[in-house]
Amino acid sequence: MQAASLDQVFAALADPTRRAILSRLAGGEASVSDLVAPFSLSQPTISKHLKVLESAGLVTRSRDAQRRPVRLNAAPLEQAAGWIGDYRRFWEASFDRLEDYVQTLRQEEQKS
Amino acid sequence: MNQDEERRSITVTRDFDAPPSILFRAHSAPEHVRRWFGPKGWPLTLCEMDFRVGGKWRFAMTGPDGKQNPAFGGEYLDIVPDQRIVYDNAFELPGAEKMVTTVTFEPLPGDRTRLVARTVFANLAMHATHVGAGIESGINSGLDQLADVVAELRGAQG
Repeated sequence: MQAASLDQVFAALADPTRRAILSRLAGGEASVSDLVAPFSLSQPTISKHLKVLESAGLVTRSRDAQRRPVRLNAAPLEQAAGWIGDYRRFWEASFDRLEDYVQTLRQEEQKS
Repeated sequence: MNQDEERRSITVTRDFDAPPSILFRAHSAPEHVRRWFGPKGWPLTLCEMDFRVGGKWRFAMTGPDGKQNPAFGGEYLDIVPDQRIVYDNAFELPGAEKMVTTVTFEPLPGDRTRLVARTVFANLAMHATHVGAGIESGINSGLDQLADVVAELRGAQG
């Protein structure tokens, strides 16, 4: 699968209905009509949402079967969650440098 | 800490081979902070600190491309020498939201210190806009629910 941009992933996630669809799919694959019922939305509306999710790489639809079940694809979500972890990496990198600097300060203190 | 705050926070912990007084000193003045703040390759090329409660601070980093990133800063909310520093922080950009960071220095046996840096963001979307790499994209409310979706997903797969 072509990696979707994070922008696309976040834009897809910005809609509550699409997040609800993903939550539903986390419980297992579903057909479009399976999805229509709980959301009280029309089939075209659901299909539109699925299209957005599909182009963000968040869901896949099998080509073979008549009913074309929709499946969740976890990879982009993991990638997005990983990006949130960047803040932690920022601190970890600072702490690496702080560790070195603290030793410098300590040596200075011992000398004086 | 309430649950909502927990969801919006990140805590990073590290043990150091030095007493709390030295860790505190490393945080207390630009001459020190410049030497370690931020990832390697992202020097603090702007570092102004009025290090007292109510005092303001202002930092900016320069990336490997040689361009200075947007400045960020805030106010020191609490300072207890050798124990704790609390400050708020926001990018100097329109609509930027604040986060509050609490740095604590806990003494450990053997003249060591456990440093705990806990940051509470205004919302989850801020995690993404404060990564320190100058990344600003069209992040919207999607992130607010992302943690939930991912957690659910892991539950479903595991």
